[in-house]
Amino acid sequence: MSKQLHELTFEFKAEKPKDFSEDFLHFGVVGSGDMEVIVEHKDLDGAVRIKITSPVTGYEEVWRRVLERFVNDTGVANASFEINDNNATPVVVSLRLRQALAEIS
Amino acid sequence: MSSKWENLQKRSYLESNARSRAIGLVDTGSFTELAGPRHRISSPHLPLLGEAVEFDDGIVTGVGLIGKKPVFVASQEGRFIGGAVGEVHGAKLVNIVRMARQSYDKMLEDNPDLPEEKRPAVVISFDTGGVRLHEANAGLLAHAELMDQFQDCKGKVPIIALIGSRVGCFGGMGFVAAATDVIIMSQFGRLGLTGPEVIEEELGKDEFDASDRGLVYRTTGGRHKYIMGDCNFLVADSIAAFRETLQEVLRKPYVEIAAMGSIGSLEKVESQLKLVELCVETAPKDSKDVWKTAGNEFPDDLVDMPLDEFLKTVKRLRDRQVPQPPSAQQLRK
Amino acid sequence: MEDLIGQGRAAIDIIVDPDSFLEGEVGELSITDEDFGASAVIGTAKLNGEICTIIASDAMTANPKFPVVYAGIIGLEEGYKMAMAVYHSIKADKEKPLAEKRPLLLIVDTPGNGAGKQEEIFGMNKATGAYQMALAEARKAGHPIVAMVVGRAISGGFLCHGLQVDHVLSLSQKFNTMIHVMPITSIARITKLDIEWLQELAENNPVFAAGPDYFYKLGGVEELIDSIEAMRERIIAHVAEVRAMKIAGRDDELGPWGRGALSLERGSRQARSKVMQIMNDEFAEVAERYLS
Repeated sequence: MSKQLHELTFEFKAEKPKDFSEDFLHFGVVGSGDMEVIVEHKDLDGAVRIKITSPVTGYEEVWRRVLERFVNDTGVANASFEINDNNATPVVVSLRLRQALAEIS
Repeated sequence: MSSKWENLQKRSYLESNARSRAIGLVDTGSFTELAGPRHRISSPHLPLLGEAVEFDDGIVTGVGLIGKKPVFVASQEGRFIGGAVGEVHGAKLVNIVRMARQSYDKMLEDNPDLPEEKRPAVVISFDTGGVRLHEANAGLLAHAELMDQFQDCKGKVPIIALIGSRVGCFGGMGFVAAATDVIIMSQFGRLGLTGPEVIEEELGKDEFDASDRGLVYRTTGGRHKYIMGDCNFLVADSIAAFRETLQEVLRKPYVEIAAMGSIGSLEKVESQLKLVELCVETAPKDSKDVWKTAGNEFPDDLVDMPLDEFLKTVKRLRDRQVPQPPSAQQLRK
Repeated sequence: MEDLIGQGRAAIDIIVDPDSFLEGEVGELSITDEDFGASAVIGTAKLNGEICTIIASDAMTANPKFPVVYAGIIGLEEGYKMAMAVYHSIKADKEKPLAEKRPLLLIVDTPGNGAGKQEEIFGMNKATGAYQMALAEARKAGHPIVAMVVGRAISGGFLCHGLQVDHVLSLSQKFNTMIHVMPITSIARITKLDIEWLQELAENNPVFAAGPDYFYKLGGVEELIDSIEAMRERIIAHVAEVRAMKIAGRDDELGPWGRGALSLERGSRQARSKVMQIMNDEFAEVAERYLS
């Protein structure tokens, strides 16, 4: 019956990489059905590392698809993402990550 | 940065998040967050129960400036577990108040003629239902620490409460807010001790229907609290409106600010007891009965009236009350 | 006597000097209306020969004016009545040196604050807040204040009548003493977690478990007392200890802040001090910009 928070980690490489140069970026609120993210520049040889902490399990493939698409669409590279999730839907995840990157400009 | 700050000003206080409120309340570019998300100090207890965590544990704490005045800000995030107070959340809130008081002590030591315009202040934006159940005992102890720190601020640092968020301010945080010097609310803010659901459980649905939003708002909402004198200012729902009134309050000398609170001295307690006497005398069935007692002939009209008009026409209970000690009759019946 | 639940008045008699309790009188304050704040008992007694303010709940007497105030609940009148007892204690000893400030003894057996419509309309939060602020003021004015939990110390009731004192003492679990925000059964229901598993978790992490033992581990209770007869002697000892600490200027080791340090000693609430330290360090780096 025990419940625990679960962690998932992914690594992707964008097809047309664009370096993420900010030291630190935070965006979002962990409301119900929502998430927050910290993004930091990290030398990963062009890759992106994304760590998710979530009370929900069993959606690994959904996460992989949403995140891979986000990385390819934005070209974000050399960045570490840390997400605290609380049941966010794929649409919300995608939106929040894009909003987070938009904070830079 | 500054354009961003300017954008924040127009935003609804109700719809904003805790960080936007904190940044927008102080002067542009002046806010430094302390123990923010960068440090990733989330609750050590929630993961054990399988609950989602937040890097700031649902509260933004930091320091900014309003003019020359250092302003120590705590802003609760109601969207994260109802803004509830756990160990980390509570410790941040307690420590920001302590920090303000210690800063005052230090400034005074360096400059015994510290001008009013530099006297530190504490601003707390409430958005909370009180103790966080998942770490309830630690949350409870934090409430006691907060009241202790408030007392240390007496005679030194003013504490201003802002209530205009979705969760409002309930549970133990209700009396924490009552112990501040000044309360600024919007009409969407709610302040109380016992949440509507618990009252319904206690009294039955006939007496108190927690799903009746009108009833809930006229019992604990900003307009009612303004009539009762339990909030000092009622403002429009924007960060700018809260900031403007905050600035106005902080321009006053400390003694004047400290006199505005509802409780904190024997005289104030005696004056509150007159209100309790009034409650016993009039036995109101609804807040509107009290509004009428305060001199509002058509209390129903006050509910939906535009804010400007409300502020112009409303009669407040304290306009009518002349605070005096409880009558000998009351104590020696 | 198996326990003292609902026996606030009996507890007063067990603890103070025989026949010394004078109800309704504290300094200049004199309350003779029996209905006023009927669920709260205030007065003056002698404790080890010394004048002492007593504040307790009376679970047997409901407040006839407020239907939600019964069984030891603190209502509007009760909160302010308790606050007045504190302020009048301060006033009475205003000119006295620390060694002679009268102690205040809180006898704790309350299920909480008044949860009613009139209470919310008139602001129950102010009544319970007023009492806490009064206690904090008295503590800082040098009065030794001790709370003795003899029955129920529940959530907001405990905050109001208990946690604002210098030292909190509690009868141990075998006296059916209850200290909690919510019983673990309710926590299990709301969090949808298995109750046995929750109880197991609580063994190592007392932050949500119910009972005096867990509050002891958290530093929320200074001492657990194993017999009803021992209460008097232990309270007298704590009053003396607290007074000596105040005379020595060790106020920071007492009250809610002192219990923060106590939690660390007892191996809990470590995140509390950690986050405070981070804030202090971070502020030290920028303080110049704000304070000069």
